[in-house]
Amino acid sequence: MKKLFFVLLVFFSLKTSAQELFVFTEPASNMPAKSVGIRDMNAFMFEKDGKLNYHNMPELMWGINKKWMVHLQGFISNRQEGGVKAEGASFYAKYRFLSNDAIQSHFRMAVYGRYSLNRADIHQQEIETMGHNTGYETGLIATQLLHKVAISSSISYERALDNKPGYKFPETESNSALNYTLSVGKLMLPKVYKNFKQTNMNLMLELLGQGLNDNGKSYLDIAPSLQFIINSQARIDIGYRQEIYSTMNRTAPNGFVLKFEYTFFNVF
Amino acid sequence: MNFFLIAIIIILGATSANAQITKAELTATGLTCSMCSKATYKQLISIPEVEKVETDLNRTAFILHFKNGSAVNPGDLKKKVEDAGFSVGELIMVFNFNNQKAANNSSFTQDNITYTFMDSKPAILAGEVKVQILDKGFVVEKEYKKLSRLGKQYPTYAGINNNLFHIKTL
Repeated sequence: MKKLFFVLLVFFSLKTSAQELFVFTEPASNMPAKSVGIRDMNAFMFEKDGKLNYHNMPELMWGINKKWMVHLQGFISNRQEGGVKAEGASFYAKYRFLSNDAIQSHFRMAVYGRYSLNRADIHQQEIETMGHNTGYETGLIATQLLHKVAISSSISYERALDNKPGYKFPETESNSALNYTLSVGKLMLPKVYKNFKQTNMNLMLELLGQGLNDNGKSYLDIAPSLQFIINSQARIDIGYRQEIYSTMNRTAPNGFVLKFEYTFFNVF
Repeated sequence: MNFFLIAIIIILGATSANAQITKAELTATGLTCSMCSKATYKQLISIPEVEKVETDLNRTAFILHFKNGSAVNPGDLKKKVEDAGFSVGELIMVFNFNNQKAANNSSFTQDNITYTFMDSKPAILAGEVKVQILDKGFVVEKEYKKLSRLGKQYPTYAGINNNLFHIKTL
């Protein structure tokens, strides 16, 4: 499993393709200081029996200064009885501690943490503090931009706690995991810039993996996506996530993601 | 020692506030995409002294036009670029000089900021002249390391000070 990851890592670092505003992961770069961003992620994930799980995750983002940014995110889904319901929320903070800039390139590193609350039942072995588990995640990200191509990788520790109000995390299951990601992106259009109004198109490919610490179970997903940046200010992402392999129980690993984002510059 | 103090006072006194900064050409580093350029543009246009910003997206370069008679601090420009999440790779300021003597290690003050000539040819400067800021954070890292080797000739260069900049006439 780890071998496969490194083979793919080498493969993609040779054959790279996007910019770094990734769809399934965050880059080490932050949003501009004093800016506010709003984001809405819609995930349409398919359960194995064909039932559609819909997740909506509205998000508010704030660039406090050049080093710190924070996110507040809500989790809404149709997984519980009674239709679409709010299930939880999370707080995310990222600190960029390294930044080496050169002409049209940079290398950055950041650390981040997330704390999430969730009121849904615990229904899978996979640990996901974005929309499924109460718990926390902390990790390290490194991002390299080289002209029109960006490569980013992260590693994180994720810990599941009991879900609210009374959904205990099963004692027989692993309550912690190690996650690793590799993302590549390439700016495809425009070839030559004329003004801010030109629509930018980015192509991205991401690998998302998890290993459960207590039982050695793991999965690896591949997630290609297409991104449009409109008026240099709004983002539309269309992504698809597909399981490559998994030895753990997951309810609905495969599906589409549709994401909208808008940045308000110089608000605070 | 006293001689030096007197000499400095004479130099400073003789050459203060007879120039004006009209324009700046800033190249930002660490970015490619237009969203990043827009973030930088939005930061630069928020500086009160800035009247207009022209953008060259392919070079990630910005031409700033300052309001007439406004006091400009190069440090403010750098801070805004860094707030956007990027760095300054080159900053060229356009001064409108009135017979300013340029000689290495000689200084003049403009809007309470001291500018010291470095790596420049001796000249009397009049009219619009482009000068490049050479201090750390205003040039790419490689260039800064190269300039640092001239340290013995320019004793003030090592310090970082928002009221003292080293300039090279272009």
